[in-house]
Amino acid sequence: MLALRNVYKSFADRGRAIPVLDDITLEIPDGELVCIVGPSGSGKSTLLRIMMGLTPPTSGSVLYQGEALRGVNLRAAMVFQSFALLPWLTVQANAELGLKARDVPEAEAHKRAAYYLDKVGLDGYEEAYPSELSGGMKQRAGIARALAVEPEVLFMDEPFAGLDALTSANLREEVLTLWSDRALPVNTVVMVTHIIEEAVLMADRVVVLTSHPGRVAADLPVPLPRPRNKRDEGFDQLVDSIFEKIV
Amino acid sequence: MAETRPTPRWLPLLTVAAFLIATGLMLGGPARVIHLARGVVHAEPSFRELPAAAAWSLMRMTASYALSLLVAWIAGYWAATNERAARVILPLLDVGQSVPVLGFFPAAIYVFVTLLGGGRVSLELAAIFLIFTSQTWNLAFGVYEGLTTIPAETRAAVDSLGVRGVLRLRTLLAPACVPTLLYNSILSWANGWYFLIACEIIAAGPVHYDLPGLGSMLSRAIASGDLKLAAGALATLIAIVLALELLVWQPLRTWSRRYRYDTQSVEESDALPRLPSLGIPALVRPLRAVARALWSRVPVAAVNRGLESAAARGLRLWGALRWPLGIAGAALALVALGATVRVLLPPWPADLARLPLALLLSFLRITAAYALALLWIVPVALWASDHARGARWLSLVAQVGASIPATGFFPVLVALFVNRFGGMEIISIALALTGMQWYLLFNLLAGVQRVPNDLRESLRSLGLSRSEIHRQLVIPACMPSLVTGSVVAWGGTWNALILSEYVVYRERVYEVTGVGALLNRATFGTGSRSMLFFSLAALVITVVAFNRLVWDRLYRFVQARYRLEG
Repeated sequence: MLALRNVYKSFADRGRAIPVLDDITLEIPDGELVCIVGPSGSGKSTLLRIMMGLTPPTSGSVLYQGEALRGVNLRAAMVFQSFALLPWLTVQANAELGLKARDVPEAEAHKRAAYYLDKVGLDGYEEAYPSELSGGMKQRAGIARALAVEPEVLFMDEPFAGLDALTSANLREEVLTLWSDRALPVNTVVMVTHIIEEAVLMADRVVVLTSHPGRVAADLPVPLPRPRNKRDEGFDQLVDSIFEKIV
Repeated sequence: MAETRPTPRWLPLLTVAAFLIATGLMLGGPARVIHLARGVVHAEPSFRELPAAAAWSLMRMTASYALSLLVAWIAGYWAATNERAARVILPLLDVGQSVPVLGFFPAAIYVFVTLLGGGRVSLELAAIFLIFTSQTWNLAFGVYEGLTTIPAETRAAVDSLGVRGVLRLRTLLAPACVPTLLYNSILSWANGWYFLIACEIIAAGPVHYDLPGLGSMLSRAIASGDLKLAAGALATLIAIVLALELLVWQPLRTWSRRYRYDTQSVEESDALPRLPSLGIPALVRPLRAVARALWSRVPVAAVNRGLESAAARGLRLWGALRWPLGIAGAALALVALGATVRVLLPPWPADLARLPLALLLSFLRITAAYALALLWIVPVALWASDHARGARWLSLVAQVGASIPATGFFPVLVALFVNRFGGMEIISIALALTGMQWYLLFNLLAGVQRVPNDLRESLRSLGLSRSEIHRQLVIPACMPSLVTGSVVAWGGTWNALILSEYVVYRERVYEVTGVGALLNRATFGTGSRSMLFFSLAALVITVVAFNRLVWDRLYRFVQARYRLEG
């Protein structure tokens, strides 16, 4: 379980403290797929970085499995909107990066990275450089890189926002398949998005943030059965009710 | 880069002051003429010495480049990771870049000779130190730029994978600096050649000590009237510069393209006619394989743990030594201040009265060279603006021209003009001109090529004639590039004067009234340390003040007024 207790975050701007997150208390149990939605300026990306341990909160605490988080959570991994692959490394080397940092032996790292590249459908592209891939393939490589460290929690920061509609729909389905695949270690996913439909399609639970500063405006379960479809009964009502919470 | 950061206005002033006080410390003490242990009295230079001379020059360059790279990395990394440090380091680099370093060669010889005695080693160190000061600043800016332009998400991604320490350096920080560092390395080598040759010539002139190298060979050959050997040395120099371009920089440029982020579009330079690529990948590949094999054996996490505990120990040591070191530093600063005051107090050297006039005349010489350069460059650039292909070829020519050290032509100029056609005046202005013209041309052509074609066509469709288009569009659009080029060319040209205002040719000293001549005389003629200090201070203050008061303002004005959108 990941727990946030009274998390505040502010950034300094010309000597003044600008509040970004205001008193966030949140629990994310193991095995859940949670989406955080909110307008721009709601600090949802900052919240995700605090959960990952990339940024410390200004005050408040982050607990993972009951222990206070110190620095980056090595049992979690993250996927980014801009894919954030290193352009000077091959797809394979990008996927091995986290394993290198954990001193996994060369042969084992190679095997594991190849396995996850295969899982996301990049079999045969191991020696390609990121600049030679399409956007969708780059994000697949980003996902494989995160999965390769076999994290318990996967954080995703608007992972489909940089892709065209068709590609993002495909990739969304695949992420759901990976999440429900019990053979993979990752079973908790926290995803940030600004598209409410996307959240309702994917999440067990939707956390709604307000903007300037970000506060939790609502925390709603999504009771719709899986697999879901935009034409499912109750889909539109749920989307509308979330939309109202934001406005 | 320095302009975008809010730095206190007094900081550059303080930098210059601290710089001068440090110089004062070095130069404090009674006047003393430099007497070097005479080098081997050499026989007439001959073609057989040419390969060794080339090797010596290249070795001096490589040593100072390695040193520059090391210092640049530390300074750039420090500035990029520590905002408070950046506010001090960046203006420091800025001043370092704009100071005419050749002026410090006489001073550097003085200091090294005082410290180490008059042997070959002191001269070598003075030369390497000087080349270093011509190379390191822009390299440091390159590192700083490379590190600060890493996209935030890329940085976060690497951190989120738990990548730290050596692995982070190797996979993120070092590669991120490759493109800017390469670009600046090429610049630094061009600069370095210029100063290397200048140092060797100066050392072979008044000092009479031989720094074996292409520059000294060139000047000795001309002095002894051996034109064939001089031509050989000059050709060797040009051949080495071009070979480096073809065999090292060109392949590296191709290779470095991979180190750019996706978001950056393909550069226009790809459209340039390129020199043939004679890559040496076959040579490099086995080396790379070995490096990779070694790297994969490194237990990254263990090494990082070791480094972290070492860093913690270092921090504790620093905590214990901070006060003693601070007190020692303050004491040294006081001593330096005292030495500076002593230098500044009367009795003043006799030459001091000539300093204002000398400064003015040097200034006029540079202005003359600048005006002459513009006189042919502006029409050529305007012609190029109407001939796209011609413009591309010209910028290749300018690039090659700029990479050949103008100082190499200096002995030739001396031999041609020393007793004819206005003599030293012509030599000074001609050397200044050969140094600045290619760089100016290159910048102006870049500006010309950036004028958007649809703007030009819209003016043509309005019925404007060619000369009207030049006046209304091309010239205003080139102003930012012209000013950028001018700042560097104008600042760099002071160096040419230090070389060219004081010449020893066939055992006779020729000089004109100028700050460069005063500097050289203070070292090699009168041996007056205080005169050396006064001349250096006047030179540095003039250049930095002119940059701050004229070029900076002009640059901002031109940027605000003539910048093309998009």
